[in-house]
Amino acid sequence: MSKQEMRKRLAALSFSEKVKILERLRDRSFALAASGLRQTSAVDLRKKADEDKGSKD
Amino acid sequence: MRGNQTVKATLEAINSMEADGVIGKYAIGGAVGATLYLEPAATLDVDIFVTLPTAPHGSLLLSLAPLYDYLKARGGTVRDEHIVIGGWPVQFLPPSNELEREAVAGSVLTTVEGVTTRVMSAEHLVAIALCTGRSKDHIRILQFIEQDAVDRGKLQSILERHGLTPKWKQFEQKYLEGIHE
Repeated sequence: MSKQEMRKRLAALSFSEKVKILERLRDRSFALAASGLRQTSAVDLRKKADEDKGSKD
Repeated sequence: MRGNQTVKATLEAINSMEADGVIGKYAIGGAVGATLYLEPAATLDVDIFVTLPTAPHGSLLLSLAPLYDYLKARGGTVRDEHIVIGGWPVQFLPPSNELEREAVAGSVLTTVEGVTTRVMSAEHLVAIALCTGRSKDHIRILQFIEQDAVDRGKLQSILERHGLTPKWKQFEQKYLEGIHE
């Protein structure tokens, strides 16, 4: 099945089914974040830098 | 493991707020709203555009405080600009212009696992994404176009009504030239 066909099939699912997929995608994101596999975002880095600065002050 | 950490649980809580008069009419926008029309795309939060009940004494100042108080009393937790309900961070956005007000008013009824809810029309989602104008908004507009998920006539009407035609023409020139109509 081509990528385009797959996207069409996914788009044709019911909203409930698609929301279930959203939930699974979100769980996967959290699992990746918890495992440390995902690179820390710029925002997280900035927060960490601010916290470090605060703890030194 | 996830227990009540579902969009269904989140929507049930929001419907309770509406039934209790804490909020007026609401509509799901953003990535979750777009999911009604497109293939699912990873997102970590839910954008809820919400009309707020008129403040007492005719005050024009709208506040989300009663909404937050209501949810915190029922286990909701505030995290930055979101409040976590049913395990999902929700951002409540009072409509900031006529386009968003129209999008809430014209939202479409749908259900998530038997829970009734409302989602903005595909055409309003595209018009709002055009206004917001971030890279991810442009990508979403392209998905709507590529998947033929918008009524071009309705979209043009919305764009004209809200003075967005010049911005749409710029978008077309930048991203849609060469794509078959």
